[in-house]
Amino acid sequence: MVAGCEMARHCETFEHTADVGLAARADTLAELMAALAEGLTDVICERSGVRPVERRTVRVKAEDVEALAVDFLSEVLLAFDADHFLAAEISVSDAAETSLAAELTGETYDRARHELLNEVKAVTYHMLKVAREGDEWAATVVLDL
Amino acid sequence: MAKSFEGRIEQVDGNRWRIPRDSQAGMRVDGMIYSSGRLIGDVIDGGGPAQVANVATLPGIVGASLAMPDVHWGYGFCIGGVAATDVEADGVVSPGGVGYDINCGVRLMRTDLDAADLRKRTKALIDQLFRDVPVGVGVGGPHRFAGDEMRRLLAEGVGYLVEKGLAREADREVTESGGCLPGADPGAVSDEALRRGAGQCGSLGAGNHFIEVQRVEKVYDPVAAEVFGLAEGQVTVMIHTGSRGLGHQVCGDSLKALRSAPGRYGIELPDRQLVCAPVASPEGQRYLSAMRAAANFAWCNRQLLMNQVRKTLARFFGQSQSSLGLRQVYDVAHNVAKIETHVVGGTPRELCVHRKGATRAFAPGHRDLPERYRPTGQPVLIPGDMGTASYVLVGTEAAMRQTFGSACHGAGRVLSRKAAIRTAHGRRIDKELAARGIVARARGRTGLAEEQPDAYKDVDAVVECVHSAGLARKVARMRPLGVIKG
Repeated sequence: MVAGCEMARHCETFEHTADVGLAARADTLAELMAALAEGLTDVICERSGVRPVERRTVRVKAEDVEALAVDFLSEVLLAFDADHFLAAEISVSDAAETSLAAELTGETYDRARHELLNEVKAVTYHMLKVAREGDEWAATVVLDL
Repeated sequence: MAKSFEGRIEQVDGNRWRIPRDSQAGMRVDGMIYSSGRLIGDVIDGGGPAQVANVATLPGIVGASLAMPDVHWGYGFCIGGVAATDVEADGVVSPGGVGYDINCGVRLMRTDLDAADLRKRTKALIDQLFRDVPVGVGVGGPHRFAGDEMRRLLAEGVGYLVEKGLAREADREVTESGGCLPGADPGAVSDEALRRGAGQCGSLGAGNHFIEVQRVEKVYDPVAAEVFGLAEGQVTVMIHTGSRGLGHQVCGDSLKALRSAPGRYGIELPDRQLVCAPVASPEGQRYLSAMRAAANFAWCNRQLLMNQVRKTLARFFGQSQSSLGLRQVYDVAHNVAKIETHVVGGTPRELCVHRKGATRAFAPGHRDLPERYRPTGQPVLIPGDMGTASYVLVGTEAAMRQTFGSACHGAGRVLSRKAAIRTAHGRRIDKELAARGIVARARGRTGLAEEQPDAYKDVDAVVECVHSAGLARKVARMRPLGVIKG
C-alpha cells in the first residue's frame, strides 16, 4: 500500500454447498490480494479482537495470478494452523501476476481473548477467478471448511 | 452455487440413473448414479451429475464414474464419488478424488452398557466427554510425536501405536487395512504438513466431525449383528474425524505439485480441481506416498480419540474397560485412494480405487477382511445427521461387481453452512435436540446450527437406496443419545 493513499478494497463471503466463498474487488492487484487474505482471516476468527503486535513476511511465487492467490491464502492459513498466528492487518507490496510479498501483522492465538469461528481446511481451485475487470481487479475463491 | 445438470441422464431401474458416455465430450465411460425416486431431484439440482461426467473423462477410468445415493457437489469429484483407474493402462490418481480430509472416516465402538441404565446420566456423560476430548478449531491433542516418532507413526500407522502401548492388537485387526496403508513415505510429507499436524493427533477438530453416544434401536440382521457385537438397546460410541491439518496440507501441497502434470502427460481436464498424474508416474507415486502417510495419521487420530473415550467411560462408570465390554467394532476410511484388485471384463485388474465420501463395502470371504468378519462381510459404518440415526451395514457381492466394493458414507448435505445458520436463526438447535432426547454440546457458536438435522439428506432414504440396490445390507440402526462437536 502506498502511504497516505487509501485505496478501495472490499471482500465479502458467499454461500457454497458445504463451504464458503470469498468475493473481492479492489483497485489494484496488491489490494485485491490483501482483501482476500483479510476475508480468509475473517472466516477463521473475529479479527477485530486481534492486536497488531507481531509481524511476519510472506513471499509467494506461482505460474499465474490464480495460482498465486491460492498459494498466498494457503500461507495465511498455514500461519494460523501451524503456528496459531492470527493476522489483524495485511498489506501486500510488490504484487505482480506471478509473485508477491506481503506483511501480516497480528498475534498468536490466545484462547482467553480470541474467538475462532471456523476451521478452514484449505483454499481450493473451484470457481477460482482472479482477473482485471475494467479499472478494477476482481477475485472469487472458495474455501473448504 | 452448484449448477443444475444439463446433459442427458436416463433412469436404468429403481436405483440407478445413467449419464451415457456420449452426453459430454471426452467421457471415456458412462456415469452411474445410485439414487431413488425420492432422492434424485435434489441430486440433479445439486451439481453432482456434472462432476460425475467430468470424472468420466479421466485417463484409465474403468467401469463407470460412480456416485452413491448421498452424492452432492464437491471439489472436482463429487462427494459420494467412486472412480477406479487401471494402473497398467496409464490410469491416473487424482488428489481431488480423495479430498482435502484424507482418510476422513468413522470408528464404531460397542459396549455392554444398556441404554436404559444410562438414560438419566446421558447429560453428565456427554458433559464429561466434552471436557475430556480435545474438540474445536485450534484445539490440539495431548500427544506429541516428535521427529522419528512422527515419521514412524506416518509410516506404520496403528501398528506403531500398538508398539507404544497406545492401541491394542484387537483394535488394529478391526481397522480397515489394519490401520496402515503400505507404501506410506513420511519423506513425501512436507514440513508445513508436519507443522500443521504436530499437535493434532488425538483431536477431533470442527466442522462435521463428532463423537456420538448412541443406542442400538433396531437390528435387521441378527446373524451379522451378533458377529459385530451389536444388540438392541445397547450403547455404542461413534467417532467421525480425519487427518486434521496434516492431511489438508498434504492435499493442498499435492494439488500444487500436480498443477503442471496434466500438461506434461497430455491430459486435458474440464476442471482445474481434477489435476492428476498417471499412478505409475513419479508425480503419481509421490502423491500416493504422502496420501498414505496422511491416511495412517488419521487412523492413529481416531485410535487416540477412542482411547480417550474408553478412559472417560471407565472413570464415569467406575468400572474397568473390559467389564464395560468396550470393543471396537470397525473403522472405515471414506476419503481415500487404494490400489485394489477387481475383476473388470472377466479379468482381475490392478486398479486405483478413489473413494471420496464413499465407504469400502467388501463382500464375505474377501481376503482383506479380518478373520472375524470374513463369514459376514465387512461392517460398513454410516453416520447420519445428529438428530436422526446412524447405521451399520454389511458388504455384499453385488458391490464387488457393480461399485468396486463401495457404498455410501453418510446422509450428504443439502443446505450450505450459511443457509443452515439462516434456517436456524432464532432457534435453539440444542433445545430442539433435547426435546428429541438428544444431548448436544458444541464448542463454536455456529457449530450446531451448521450441522442441524435439516442441513442433511434423509439418512434413512440414503441407506434404503443402498440396501435395495444391494450394495450393502442393513444390519443395525442406531439413534443418537448425545453428541459432542467442534
